[in-house]
Amino acid sequence: MKSDNKKDEPAVFKRVVSKNASPYNYMKVSLVLEDESTRLTAIELKQFIITGLKSLYGEVGAALSFDLLKYDEDTLTAFLRVSSRGLVKLWSSLTLLGFYQNQACAFRVLQVSPFLLALTGNSRDLQLD
Amino acid sequence: MAEFMDLNVSTCEDQSRVLDLISTAAQLGFSTVALNYEFEPSANHRAVPSPTPTNQLIPQLPLVQGRSRPIRVLNRLTIVTSDPGHFRPNAPEYRCYDLLAVRPTTEKLFHAACMMYDVDIISVSVTEKLPFFFKRAPVNGATDRGVVFELSYAAAIRDATRRRYTISNAVSLMESCRGRNVILSSAAEKPLELRGPYDVANLGLLFGLSDGDAKEAVSSSCRSVLLHAETRKTASGVVHTVKSPDTGPAAKRRHLME
Repeated sequence: MKSDNKKDEPAVFKRVVSKNASPYNYMKVSLVLEDESTRLTAIELKQFIITGLKSLYGEVGAALSFDLLKYDEDTLTAFLRVSSRGLVKLWSSLTLLGFYQNQACAFRVLQVSPFLLALTGNSRDLQLD
Repeated sequence: MAEFMDLNVSTCEDQSRVLDLISTAAQLGFSTVALNYEFEPSANHRAVPSPTPTNQLIPQLPLVQGRSRPIRVLNRLTIVTSDPGHFRPNAPEYRCYDLLAVRPTTEKLFHAACMMYDVDIISVSVTEKLPFFFKRAPVNGATDRGVVFELSYAAAIRDATRRRYTISNAVSLMESCRGRNVILSSAAEKPLELRGPYDVANLGLLFGLSDGDAKEAVSSSCRSVLLHAETRKTASGVVHTVKSPDTGPAAKRRHLME
């Protein structure tokens, strides 16, 4: 960032080209529960996802590192970050999770992208006038 | 963009639940669903169930997410065969269904279903360990005739044992058919057992499909099933006869003028 110090130079756009596969994938998921009044904390949600990974892929799967970046307790919507090679594992274990504490539940995967910025908007929700 | 379809959604007596299932499927982005009526000739000697016409069941079809078009609802009959006499070719009861599927329980019937039966879908059982292997010859025969194999995933969500059977049966099917002519469907009884089309395609990777085949299993393979069903009803898809409601000299003349 040398150009920032020199005031007289005009601002330049920086173009980033990612040629290799991106290291992380980001997912926006929401949990739908049978009893809609149930609330989960962020820790409980992450624990629940780890249980799902463990039941499908065993200890090795549970060792898969993923992060819960942001979580909204009211809508049960979460942003997950997972390394690209763990995406299929995490996604399939989310798909096959069907019960949370003996009540039926489903993860709705709203968006998946290698760029976090892409999750700011959803073109499918646009209202075109 | 390909249209996504779920060609197996269970029906039940409770109409509100069926409506719930259909609207959830539309929300998830499925353009077509098929309501499945299961018929097991060996267990109960009932007649073939007759489908409820779609317009009677749902007055207002819900719109599909992402496309401003209503969802298409079809009727499908699945016959669970354990005896060669269970499947009657050209039975008039089958005519009122859009899709026809069989679930063979023995190797002989599987062979017959692949090579001879005039059906659209061969459903692979996912609730028990398969009593037979999928041999290359019948599977290839089915592929040549345009009959597809169906795997359903709702049982895998319900409990862990069935998940094991689902995955092992799926993998053994993929070994012989190499990912072609496979469709993935839900067989869901509750709305929470339905999953979105991209989730299902991702699940296909788990069953041993490649990326492209997995997406085809929820989109273009399903479309070819519908087209196959059309050709089954008509004479090779060329000639189609319908009973005209008004037949008289006046109607004939009008017809000639058109």
